Amino acid sequence: MDFLTALRISGTGLGVARTRVNLATSNLANAETTRTPNGGPYQRLDPVIQAVPFPTELGEATGAGANPPLQAEVQAIVADQTPGRRVYSPGHPDADGDGFVVFPNVNPVHEVVNLMSASRSYEANATAIETLKTMAQRGLDIAR
Amino acid sequence: MKIFDTTLTRLQEALDVRLVEHNVLAGNVANADTPAYRPRELDFSQAMAAARETVASAGMATTDARHLATGGAAIGAGSRATGAAESLVHQGAGTSPSIDGNQVDLDRTMAGLAENALQYGASARAAGKKLAILRYVASEGAG
Amino acid sequence: MSIESIGTLSGPAGGVAPEPRTREIARPGEGPGSFTEALGGALGKVDQIQLEADAQAEKVAMGGGNLHEMSLALEKADVSMRLAMKVRSKLIDAYQEIMRMSV
Repeated sequence: MDFLTALRISGTGLGVARTRVNLATSNLANAETTRTPNGGPYQRLDPVIQAVPFPTELGEATGAGANPPLQAEVQAIVADQTPGRRVYSPGHPDADGDGFVVFPNVNPVHEVVNLMSASRSYEANATAIETLKTMAQRGLDIAR
Repeated sequence: MKIFDTTLTRLQEALDVRLVEHNVLAGNVANADTPAYRPRELDFSQAMAAARETVASAGMATTDARHLATGGAAIGAGSRATGAAESLVHQGAGTSPSIDGNQVDLDRTMAGLAENALQYGASARAAGKKLAILRYVASEGAG
Repeated sequence: MSIESIGTLSGPAGGVAPEPRTREIARPGEGPGSFTEALGGALGKVDQIQLEADAQAEKVAMGGGNLHEMSLALEKADVSMRLAMKVRSKLIDAYQEIMRMSV
């Protein structure tokens, strides 16, 4: 394990946080979208995050026995299938036969909380990278 | 006669183990939102003891009376200490269980990162200073 | 000729007998207060300071220890070594100067 490994691990953390931010903002922006290219209202998106071993050039996980540090990765982005709320609004262009419009299953409060959490994660990973840079500088100073 | 004494070896080991610790903590931070993730941990004193043992016991074995004795323990010591420390990384119990099963305590991990970096810097500074004294003496006061 | 013999001369003959004073005349370069001892003592102290710095650095390396104590010990070691080197150069210069003197 070395500096490059640490940098990449923190980099994946940054990527995951950024994905979460993107999804949260997408959900927020489409909180009232009743019509999508797929037909039907917008469905909120969730990331599926998993921890994967850090691959080497040989394709196998780096040292560290059974418990190597893992990098985070967004495995998939899934749409939340929970049905959205139905509002009675017969004049709406997207109203169905009974006059109900189905709005997206987005709860803005949830999305904002996700946004804040992702933002904190992003900062934490950025701090980890800053810390690594400081350590690398000190290490190089030995041979100044 | 040894030019580089055991203190320098200890400092080298400390630097290696501190780097492994950083990787462990950075991995935890990167996975702070991964569901069902249990944080990895490294016991520093244990890792230092393992590193010291690995470095001390390594070196080329002389199997024939005609073999030259080598102070080979110093060669490749860095990667051996790192390997010894890596093998001690284990899954921790986790301190902040949450609904999605993730057990990383982000604040404690960040504090651990800061402390680890500080100690790394201190060991690096000490190693640099010792080598500077040696360099000064070796260059007869000119360097 | 030792001072004692002068004392015995003037003692019984009257006058104040000077107190017989014995003084060990040490061989140059040895004995208490000699240059060799001072130099040896000083080098010993420098060595002690180096060892103390080593001990502090090891403590910090093992995870304990006190950062500012370590820094102070290291800096003292550095300065004392520089002073010792300066003394060494001065000694060598002095020696060479003496050797250059035409007899």
